[in-house]
Amino acid sequence: MAMHERLSFYAKRDSILHRLNPLTKLTLVFGFVLISFFAPFYWTPHLLILSGVIPLSFTGKVAREYFNASLRLILPAAGFLFIMQALFQPLEGEELFRIGFLHPTKESVMFAFANAMRIFLMVSSFTLFLLTTHPSELMSDLTRRGLPGQFAYVIISTIQILPQMQAKAQTIISAQRSRGLDTQSSFLKRAGSLIPLVGPLVFGSLVEVEERAIAIEARGFTSTKTKTSLHEIPDTNSDKMIRWILAALVLISLALRLWLS
Amino acid sequence: MLNNIKKDFNTMTWVLIPVAIAINIAIGQIVVTLKLPVFLDSVGTVLVGVLCGPWAGALTGALSNTIWGIAIDPNALPWWPVAFFIGLVSGFMAKGGWFKSWWKVVVTGFVVALTAAAASTPIAVYLFGGITASGSSFITAYLMQTGLGVFQAVFSTSFLVEPVDKITTAMLAFAIVQGLSRRFIARFPRPENVEDEGGANQTQLYIAIGVVVLLVLFAAFMLRNILGG
Amino acid sequence: MAIVNLQNVTYTYPLTHSPVLQNINLRVNEGQFVSIIGPNGAGKSTLCYTIAGFVPHFFKGELTGTVEVADNESSKSNLHEWVLNVGLAFQNPFNQISGAKYTVFEELAFGLENIGVPRDEMKVRVEDAMKLTGISDLADRSPYSLSGGQQQRVALTSILVMQPKVLVLDEPTSQMDPIGTREVFGVIRKLAEQGMTVILVEHKVEWIAQFADRVIALKDGQILLEGTPGEVLTSPILEQSGFGISRYTSVARKAQGIGLWKNDQLPVTLDEAVEGFALTPSPSPRGRGEQ
Repeated sequence: MAMHERLSFYAKRDSILHRLNPLTKLTLVFGFVLISFFAPFYWTPHLLILSGVIPLSFTGKVAREYFNASLRLILPAAGFLFIMQALFQPLEGEELFRIGFLHPTKESVMFAFANAMRIFLMVSSFTLFLLTTHPSELMSDLTRRGLPGQFAYVIISTIQILPQMQAKAQTIISAQRSRGLDTQSSFLKRAGSLIPLVGPLVFGSLVEVEERAIAIEARGFTSTKTKTSLHEIPDTNSDKMIRWILAALVLISLALRLWLS
Repeated sequence: MLNNIKKDFNTMTWVLIPVAIAINIAIGQIVVTLKLPVFLDSVGTVLVGVLCGPWAGALTGALSNTIWGIAIDPNALPWWPVAFFIGLVSGFMAKGGWFKSWWKVVVTGFVVALTAAAASTPIAVYLFGGITASGSSFITAYLMQTGLGVFQAVFSTSFLVEPVDKITTAMLAFAIVQGLSRRFIARFPRPENVEDEGGANQTQLYIAIGVVVLLVLFAAFMLRNILGG
Repeated sequence: MAIVNLQNVTYTYPLTHSPVLQNINLRVNEGQFVSIIGPNGAGKSTLCYTIAGFVPHFFKGELTGTVEVADNESSKSNLHEWVLNVGLAFQNPFNQISGAKYTVFEELAFGLENIGVPRDEMKVRVEDAMKLTGISDLADRSPYSLSGGQQQRVALTSILVMQPKVLVLDEPTSQMDPIGTREVFGVIRKLAEQGMTVILVEHKVEWIAQFADRVIALKDGQILLEGTPGEVLTSPILEQSGFGISRYTSVARKAQGIGLWKNDQLPVTLDEAVEGFALTPSPSPRGRGEQ
């Protein structure tokens, strides 16, 4: 059930960041990520995190949620990648220490650190985006800009079905446990218990597909008319300006990379 | 061609895709709970590829990885092209009639595995320098220590890991299709992909086992060549 | 004037050989409330799907005869145009939630967004429909957080906002507890009072008797009986053919056998039964055994 919280990241606040157009915020995310890949300086991801994402989380009044998610979700993932790469990446250079066949070098550690920070930047800026943008707002705006309505349906529907499915999976696992499923038992036993776990879950959810298809067809899902939207999503001049500035920064960082290398 | 693709996306397809993504993730997590040495995180993707065509499968795969990456494990995010190709290739295999009996499904699984290995190699090499956050990177690291180039090391690792996983995935998807009523399957855009071919189940099983053995031998032979070269 | 007109309709699902509907002729006038009853497998749901256009457009298969609603012919129309004529709601309320929306209000607007209704009109239509079905207080709730009865009322409302000419309801209360059933029938009563054309498949005959202008008994894909609720629901043929009948009817029929029921007409509802037994001079049942 912890999943449910995670999937609906959105934290309702009244902030400048919340009021920005969803596309503007999306541009911000992709802008940050692209700049961190293009700009030829190892410190770009760190700079963007410290002077971009973190201050923005305060502007959006979601700093607490942001740090919470970063520590719980992103840091372990980025940390694991860092350790794997630092230990195993065979980069030539100054050897730090040697255990068995592991001999991490200063270069491999630097490389791993930059990679981990890039991943951290990528995911944490996306988290910030999800914290301040309601999914239906995002989809309304993107649909208005030409994203087919069916895509919006798929995204939101997945976000809503997934926690239900995981809850069901949990129920089935506990039910099987009470009937003697042991996750510590032998490999063959565990493999054999896969089918009774997966079967009810899959067939139960597939049976619903037909009725749901009928239900949304009955409500004009395949209508050929131009769709309208219940929500009006504001798109101001400052929104447009921010998007242009970000596009320019991405181009500049790309130019720097080409020029300096 | 575009019109044909459009036909694959009927309302049943659009409703199936979210369910398939949820199936991917739910089975993937059950497998983790059971501590099985496979991923099985593309059963839904293969299912969509088979019932609704290659492009629907590809879309399912790409979205699945993206949502997995955002909601559960950020490290899954960069691998969406792999999932894309898994859906695409399983769709094309099914279209070619390779999803109608157990032994054919095994072949499909193997081809999907090759695709996955081929698609993941450049990502692992160029984005991660060969070492990813996956446990199988231990193998890659070891192979690199033995003096193998990063490309060969990564590809050999995938080649070792993928076939078991993808063949099991394809067989699981086939078992699911077998459990669905013909009438239900008929609503999807490509029911002809899974029309029953007949033939005794037992014979099929023997052929399937034979095919697995052949594929394993083939894989071993290929691997030796790669490692040797 | 007939708004729904089925002539010689016979339908066979794909991959099957025997028809589910055979030679159905059915006319429903504007503003009429028609109820369809029948045992399991009689073809009730298929008949609903046929009127709502899902047969043959969604289910494929082989349809002969003509299905007309408001002078349009189903086989010559597209499903997405047809659903503007005929609204369909069915048993399972959970599966009728689109899944694409977060609040009840958004859920109700989903259909209107799809057919391109302007925003201002959309809001008015959603609010009006919510008032009609009494769910205005649920507007900001998540559709998934509701009770079965509430979900089913949301499903009904989501069809009503589309302003169909005919409403087809396929056993909308079969998965409801008594409270949910009462909630849903409360809505159906209002629709009947408003003069909506309604085709309702239902096995709770005591409720049907309260609203229906006409009852059709379906068996093995054919129309077995047709007439007023009083005629059809108390017909001895029903009991012989395996239909569920009202317990008040069976009690009164037994009473008739021993001379305790004096009315010609057998009752379907509790009220009718009480009224009828009150006519019996003596001995008075004194209301024992009534709940």
